[in-house]
Amino acid sequence: MSPLESISERLGITEPWVEKGGVHWLTPGAKSVREVAQAMNEFHARFVTITAYQLPGDQGFRLEYHWDLNGQLLGFPFQLAGNSIESIYDLCEATDWIEREIHEGFVIDFVGREYEPLLLRQGDTPGVNLREEKK
Amino acid sequence: MSYKIPMGPYHPGLEEPYKLDMICEGETVQDAKLRIGFNFRGIEHLAETRNYIQVIALMERVCGICSNIHTLTLCQAMEGLTGLTPPPRAKYIRVIMAELERLHSHVLWAGIAAKLMGFKTMFMTCFELREKVMDVLQAISGNRVNYSMNRIGGVNRDITDPPAILALVEALEAEMARTVIPIFTTSSTARSRCAGIGVLTMERAISCGVVGPVARASGLPQDLRRAAPYAAYDEMEFDVPVQPDGDVRARLLVRALEIMESCKILRQALAKLPPGEIHTEGEKFPFITGTATSRVEAPRGEVMYSVSWKEGSRNPARVHVRTPTFAVMPAIRWMVQGARLADTPLIQASIDPCYSCTDR
Repeated sequence: MSPLESISERLGITEPWVEKGGVHWLTPGAKSVREVAQAMNEFHARFVTITAYQLPGDQGFRLEYHWDLNGQLLGFPFQLAGNSIESIYDLCEATDWIEREIHEGFVIDFVGREYEPLLLRQGDTPGVNLREEKK
Repeated sequence: MSYKIPMGPYHPGLEEPYKLDMICEGETVQDAKLRIGFNFRGIEHLAETRNYIQVIALMERVCGICSNIHTLTLCQAMEGLTGLTPPPRAKYIRVIMAELERLHSHVLWAGIAAKLMGFKTMFMTCFELREKVMDVLQAISGNRVNYSMNRIGGVNRDITDPPAILALVEALEAEMARTVIPIFTTSSTARSRCAGIGVLTMERAISCGVVGPVARASGLPQDLRRAAPYAAYDEMEFDVPVQPDGDVRARLLVRALEIMESCKILRQALAKLPPGEIHTEGEKFPFITGTATSRVEAPRGEVMYSVSWKEGSRNPARVHVRTPTFAVMPAIRWMVQGARLADTPLIQASIDPCYSCTDR
């Protein structure tokens, strides 16, 4: 069994991995980001980053979580209907700054952690940089 | 009694603005907090207002040292969306530019580290060598900082006289082997100032997700040129230097050895430079709607670009950049714990931080 198949089995996901745009994607379905992060820790995958996208209209946001496993870039997309998702900072220390940056750029709340300002200065408003206001 | 010492955002011990608030007991640092954002330019947002040509020029300005790497990573991601594959010669030229940039970055860093060690003659030697690397970059690209070499589907300029560039690289290699490498690997000054300080254990390096020379100096043999080859790296023979100690000296040794490996790659790439075109023919290409990602091993470690295009749009919907310093910098907190206050500038410099990249 390949490492990617082992990850699918560990997470109980039957959907196949899809290689697209330089990334091996696995749709997590009902699995939470914390379950994925725990599995990645068990497989000794290295956290790379989270990329946030604001979706059109009222569709919310998509967060793409990336880990590296022996040179393969893995991607797990999570769609947010609202403005929040569970933080994985306590499971993966490396997510600290990127969670803070996304919070400041898109006003997405990573539930279960406290923030200190990262890029913003005193008096700055979160969300003015990357978040589009709905017309 | 503990007290707080702020270092920065503007401080002689820092190359660029950022802030380190250190909690000290006497001369010993107990803990530290980092504050960044003093160079924040909103480049990711600005990228959404540029078309697919302009965005390359914009992202080249994310960093003043590894500017070529940013356009290489971005162009590779955009090539993923357009379906274009650069010709073999372009891939080799990309390798040559990337390794020259690594030499430039590592020698510049070595000079700054030497200055912080109190080793001024070494600083002068490194900067003289750096000028020679920049002369080679200028000979190829016509530029010394932003080279404008990469385009979607290849490179903008050819290397018309590889033997002449090879002669310059061999002269550089000989000079580095005579001066920089022995001094950094054997000198008692370098050893006494660097050994055992700013230690980042392998366990902590893993949990922090550090990349590049900092990871390799903590015993992690990760290098995208080997693990996920891009451009023409799968055709190059080279070693990935790894040191187990995780201290400043290990980072010094890794970079010194990488200088020699870069020269080895450059000799191969220049000798085997294939004939042919340097970019794909035709000016028009379709953009496929969707997202694409690319990663490259920059001098400081892994750079990752995610780009997204909406159908029919000339501008990207999103350009996300994860720079190596963004991944490495939080680990400074662990490196300075237990260190002497006087060692903290050198410890910070030992990660070769790029604040401009980090803030974007």
